[in-house]
Amino acid sequence: MKTKLLIIALALACACGVASAQSRKALRINEVMVVNDSTSIVDDYGQYSPWIELYNTNFAPLQISSIYLSSDAEAIQAAMADKKGKAPLNCSLYPVPLGDERTKIGKRQTVVFFADGKPNRGTFHTNFTLETGQDNWVAIFDADSTLIDCICVPASLPANASYAQIAIDENGDEVWEVRDGDERYITPGGENTIRDTNGKIQKFAEQDPHGFSMAAMAMCIVFSALLILCLAFMAISKIGAAFASHNKAKSHGKTIKEIADEGDAHDSGEVIAAISMALYQHLNAHDTESTILTINKVKRAYSPWSSKIYGMRHTPGK
Amino acid sequence: MNEFLTGNLQEFWELTGFANAQLGNFVMLAIGLFFIWLAIKKNFEPMLLVPIGFGMLIGNIPFNTGAGLEIGIYEEGSVLNILYNGVSAGWYPPLIFLGIGAMTDFSALIANPKLMLIGAAAQFGIFGAYMVALALGFAPDQAGAIAIIGGADGPTAIFLSSKLAPNLMGAIAVSAYSYMALVPVIQPPIMKLLTTKKERLIKMKPARAVSQNEKIIFPIVGMILTCFVVPSGIPLLGMLFFGNLLRECGVTTRLAKTASNALTDIVTILLGMTVGASTQASHFLTTQTIFIFFLGFMAFIIASASGVIFVKIFNLVLPKSKKINPLIGNAGVSAVPMSARISNNLGLQYDPSNYLLMHAMGPNVAGVIGSAVAAGVLLGFLA
Repeated sequence: MKTKLLIIALALACACGVASAQSRKALRINEVMVVNDSTSIVDDYGQYSPWIELYNTNFAPLQISSIYLSSDAEAIQAAMADKKGKAPLNCSLYPVPLGDERTKIGKRQTVVFFADGKPNRGTFHTNFTLETGQDNWVAIFDADSTLIDCICVPASLPANASYAQIAIDENGDEVWEVRDGDERYITPGGENTIRDTNGKIQKFAEQDPHGFSMAAMAMCIVFSALLILCLAFMAISKIGAAFASHNKAKSHGKTIKEIADEGDAHDSGEVIAAISMALYQHLNAHDTESTILTINKVKRAYSPWSSKIYGMRHTPGK
Repeated sequence: MNEFLTGNLQEFWELTGFANAQLGNFVMLAIGLFFIWLAIKKNFEPMLLVPIGFGMLIGNIPFNTGAGLEIGIYEEGSVLNILYNGVSAGWYPPLIFLGIGAMTDFSALIANPKLMLIGAAAQFGIFGAYMVALALGFAPDQAGAIAIIGGADGPTAIFLSSKLAPNLMGAIAVSAYSYMALVPVIQPPIMKLLTTKKERLIKMKPARAVSQNEKIIFPIVGMILTCFVVPSGIPLLGMLFFGNLLRECGVTTRLAKTASNALTDIVTILLGMTVGASTQASHFLTTQTIFIFFLGFMAFIIASASGVIFVKIFNLVLPKSKKINPLIGNAGVSAVPMSARISNNLGLQYDPSNYLLMHAMGPNVAGVIGSAVAAGVLLGFLA
């Protein structure tokens, strides 16, 4: 029993560990701006600084405290080359501090870090900066310094332009583009794909205004689901019947064919109901006493409040 | 001193219901009282209409919303708002489905799996109502949320409307439960209209006995197959089949009892009361609500009719010995077990020895699965 419990506990612990790891792995670098002169967002000190936007791709909130951010190109490349994806020891990392409620990112939400090299300004200010005129590697590492995501921002990125992830291609690779802020919006703190309409609803409203297609498609799906279930159970009941007749034949010492020839000797519903009623009458017709006498002791606990001695008036003294 | 007293009394007066009452509040209080009367005097779905009716009274007591008392159901942090989270976040309906699964005996369906198709056919009520809702000018997501009333399944309606059209959820839920209570009034005329006397007298073979193993396999296979087809139905279908497995596996009797009794009762109380309380006059007394009630009525009629018509068509291809009595077609709308009972009662009217209850339970529980699948489909397409 103890072994079983131990196995279950271990399995649960492993599952929790995997779940936790998976949720952190869903964190992505979403958009980066290296030169922020005057057109993008200001930080809480009114300064224009380079920024890095992270995106929680989970459909659940994600706590990012204790993860690391880094722009140490050597460390990042070493982690990429490492089999376990671990950053080398003594590399330069910015730890997202514990204890700040704002480090919990909502489902499918973003958070912006200012790469101004001034971590004393708060949680969202890193201890490194991004350099102009050169490739900038940016990475996020898990608490155990395992690489979660990284990106190389090209040196050619113009000032006040951002480098944003816009899609995942058919090979599963991220597609990035340069956004200059004119036609392609820079979106710090927001999703990179701007949705000004609810695509699905709009599509149905335009292409299926009377609902015929929806009705046809949905009825087909509902029928298919229940038809599959129906067919599955027809097959299961046949297999069950075959097993039953096999067992019956075995117990009666006959062949399956002989059993099949005898047919179902089921009683009709009325007969079964009559037998059930008779059994019920037989078993429950008379009330039977339990023949257990229950005598409860009546307790009258003493209390001065109910005492006759204290309640009675004393004879008045003469 | 005098000024202080009058000032305070004046302030208190402004907080009372009398000072804040509007005509809409009284209308909603009257509707709530009507629901309670229906439940107690007419015995129409009392388990649902009493909590909903009383919830309407609670939700429509006028108060000064600007005072920041945190008492209204839509005020974040209020007790009612916390209880309402089960509705708005959609976790009460799956719990109810767990209870339904633990209460339901799928034997009739397992014994005669083709009855599942009747449960599928009756879901046309949902999509028929969807088309009518679009014609009335509702947006596709709103139309989908309203149309699910045709599934005759309160928890499903609440679940879907909380996802697709939260602003219409109160009206949709009240409409769904009202029509479920009115199933005995709505369905028999449709059934009589669409069937001949000869068809009503069809006697179906007694269902075969179903083994314990089949009963255990059903929820497992059922969940896997239906959820593979419609993953968006996992919250409802998963819990329904899970509850059924608790019932049938034979080793979790205590859990099945809790799920089918205590848990379902608790959630029903909270669900009914909070849904009732969410029907505040300002949200509820609109022309949209009238349309929703009309569409709900339409959906029930279409669903009942399509179930009966499907059986008639199905009979054309079935051998004579395996014909199905079309009076069980109405049971394809879920409304368990009310609609199956109607099939039985109507069958007995025409032949006192023709008990259709167990046959009707097949499409009836298939309707539960079908409406959950339909909800999953709508959610997948429109969410």
